[in-house]
Amino acid sequence: MFQNRAEALALALPAALFAAAVFLVPVVILLSDGFRGSDGGWTISAYTDFFSNSLNRTVFLRTLKLGALVTVASAVIGYAAAFAIVSLEPGMKGRMTGLVVLPLMISPVARTYAWIVILGRTGIVNEAFQFLGLTEAPLRVLFSETAIFIGLLQLFLPLMIISLISALENMPKDAIPAARVLGANWFQVFWKVVLPLTKEGLVIGGTLVFTGSLTAYITPAILGGSKVLMLETLLYQQVSVSNNFVSASVIAFILIVMSFAANILLKRVATARNKQRAAQ
Amino acid sequence: MSDAPYLSLEKLTLAYGDTVAVADLDLGIRKGELIALLGPSGCGKTTTMRAIAGLLPVKSGHVRLDGADITRVPANKRAVGLVFQSYALFPHLSVYENVAFGLKLKGMRGTELDAKVQAGIKSVGLSSFANRKPAELSGGQQQRVALARSMVMEPKVLLLDEPLSNLDARLRLEMRTELQRVQKETGVTMIFVTHDQAEALALADRIVVMKGGAIEQIGSPEDIYSRPVSSFVADFVGFENIFPLEQGRLKTSGGLIELPGQAPSAAGLAWRPRMVTLGSGPFRGTVRGTSFAGDSREYLLDTPFGPIKAEVEASQPAHALGADLSFDLPAEKAAPLARFA
Amino acid sequence: MTARSLFIPLTLLLVLAFLIGPFLIIVAASFSAGETLNFPPQGFSLRWILKVFTVESFRASFGMSLFLAIGGTAAALVLGIPASYALSRYKLPGAEIVRTVVSAPIIVPGIIVGLALLRYIVVPFQVGITAALFLAHTALVLPYAVRVVSASLDNLRSDIEEAAVLLGSSRLGAFFRVVMPNIRGGILSAFILGFVTSFNQVPVSLFLSGPGVRTLPIDMIAYMEIVFDPSVAALSSLLAFLSIGIVFAAERFLGFSRYV
Repeated sequence: MFQNRAEALALALPAALFAAAVFLVPVVILLSDGFRGSDGGWTISAYTDFFSNSLNRTVFLRTLKLGALVTVASAVIGYAAAFAIVSLEPGMKGRMTGLVVLPLMISPVARTYAWIVILGRTGIVNEAFQFLGLTEAPLRVLFSETAIFIGLLQLFLPLMIISLISALENMPKDAIPAARVLGANWFQVFWKVVLPLTKEGLVIGGTLVFTGSLTAYITPAILGGSKVLMLETLLYQQVSVSNNFVSASVIAFILIVMSFAANILLKRVATARNKQRAAQ
Repeated sequence: MSDAPYLSLEKLTLAYGDTVAVADLDLGIRKGELIALLGPSGCGKTTTMRAIAGLLPVKSGHVRLDGADITRVPANKRAVGLVFQSYALFPHLSVYENVAFGLKLKGMRGTELDAKVQAGIKSVGLSSFANRKPAELSGGQQQRVALARSMVMEPKVLLLDEPLSNLDARLRLEMRTELQRVQKETGVTMIFVTHDQAEALALADRIVVMKGGAIEQIGSPEDIYSRPVSSFVADFVGFENIFPLEQGRLKTSGGLIELPGQAPSAAGLAWRPRMVTLGSGPFRGTVRGTSFAGDSREYLLDTPFGPIKAEVEASQPAHALGADLSFDLPAEKAAPLARFA
Repeated sequence: MTARSLFIPLTLLLVLAFLIGPFLIIVAASFSAGETLNFPPQGFSLRWILKVFTVESFRASFGMSLFLAIGGTAAALVLGIPASYALSRYKLPGAEIVRTVVSAPIIVPGIIVGLALLRYIVVPFQVGITAALFLAHTALVLPYAVRVVSASLDNLRSDIEEAAVLLGSSRLGAFFRVVMPNIRGGILSAFILGFVTSFNQVPVSLFLSGPGVRTLPIDMIAYMEIVFDPSVAALSSLLAFLSIGIVFAAERFLGFSRYV
């Protein structure tokens, strides 16, 4: 550790000032706009207005619901996938991890676009269903919550799998055999041993997936269309269509609060489980 | 060796932020001396060393080297070498390039540079490793590279941070010999920092024992080993039975106890386990623990003084656990302590 | 035991099909000979791949995205490397504040960053759209730059700088002589990560587009809303292979994944 404070500040300040000027200050002003009344005083009327609109409430709840569903689904699939990958031999494990990470390098636009081909009226799913005689008319999967759910899950699942892989690899090697020897069945092994030991990875992965889903723009924009909105696409509409900056500020604030709340809540859940176990 | 100090620290005060680590330290070191700064972690020995190197700004006081005040001279202009505990070799450079690093900065080039670097590498016996990267060397080899890298700069003072602590027992002896050889051949003034009394006793001409940012005692290895001035130093160099004196009597957990014979005028008395007489004497104790250490046997006694540690030659008959023994703490053998704290 | 030995390949197959399958479909669709986007593709041709290069707006927005990704990442590194160095090596007053401020753009949704920039920088200070995009992408990449460079600095013992100084080097000289050569891999990795992040970024740039000034992903979204031919698929495939190629090469030569 070097002691020279002036030197340290000279090195760190340009980056800090840049981030503050370009990012922090404008964002804080933007957020404060939502708390300003027409008379210039502080008020939360913009928020009561926002939630009194039933469309806004629907969008808010849909965003929350899809975020939660995608997080839960990615956790379930993520554990299965991470388990499978961790149990492979080293060379294969590296290649599989690489394949899981690969989609993260591809533009989200391209990744989301693929679902149009798959879920569209003349897409693979509909063609196959009609060919098999399962449906007569084409299903309307595109521009629905289901399409957004699928798109978000595909977009963020890799983040969960990677978090869980490193959590599983950091788990003491003998924990599972030890639990088995002590008579635990596989369900108990997962619930009593694996979950508590990997909960940090789950919290990290969960936060990434949940906040990612809340704040994704491309997926709801392409797969939800202009009818099935999420908060992020609603924000875009408010600005570009209605020029309603106060409403945009309200949505922005809600998004940020939800992101932070998710992080804190997940940490809470993890530590609460810990205390409960310690108390037993 | 002249008597005027070559390196002197005068009223040196050092601090990390507002935390004072070393206060008002005075120390004079003669040219060519091999000095050990000895003490537990947090005693200020490493801080003092870093200040001599110029890596830590001096809060107040002065550092003088070879007649010049270097208190404000930056580290890269001090002609002070430092062998780091971790060796701090440059990982991207070969052994040769590591050793050449400082010489090149001095502007040395061509055959002069090459000759000097080769000689430096040869002097530590690593000629056949010149093109290796540090990661391809053992810990002992890395340390010798670090030593060569500092020594080719012909520093006025060479500092070494815990030079033997990362080595195994065999290499430790080797390195000890190596350091003594380098010191003898070049006559460089060496200061090394250590928390290991055995290391300090074996290597140093003079030992500076530090505690809480101040010097506790300065002396030859014999002085420190046999004549500790304080309970702290006594404890640090292996006296295990240490008691304060009050009006000529030992203050123990069992009250004040008068020793037979002359009452010494000191703040305390200390005995090594070896100095305790077992089997005869005016006091009695019960054997609470015993362990065999090859050529000797150690006993832990329950006595009116509290626990007493004694050590006798293994050839003496062994005492069983629970045995009731007479023993003596002979006052004439005890190290008198001037300070007790 | 058989249930378990089946579980692993089956899980991997399904997950990979879900993650990578759609991308393969896009690649297949981009070689279609048909007029509309479809799978399975009708016939095989290179017409859509070739068409991508002739669309004027794609060429312009590709140039813009490339400029932002390279320039923004470079600017972020110029700001981020000294900051990382200060955070990793110095007792910096308010270190936590600095760390939070420089990594904040990663936490706040991009669309908000873009909107805030538009309203409070672009409009009041009459900043051009290109300059605004440049600022936005620099801010966006800065957290990644600081994170990756800090990680490689933390893996490098700090006493080598002190050793260099004691051998006669100045502090700045020590940084360039012994720190830079040892964190080169980290810096390059940060550059690649920043490049990919910036290049693929949409929400930040959403509000920051003007006449003729647009990033490539935004342009692609605009195009696909109007035309439903396979050229966006073809462009997506090309970009994907470009990103994968860069990352693959980085992993090969740098061990990219160590830093990220």
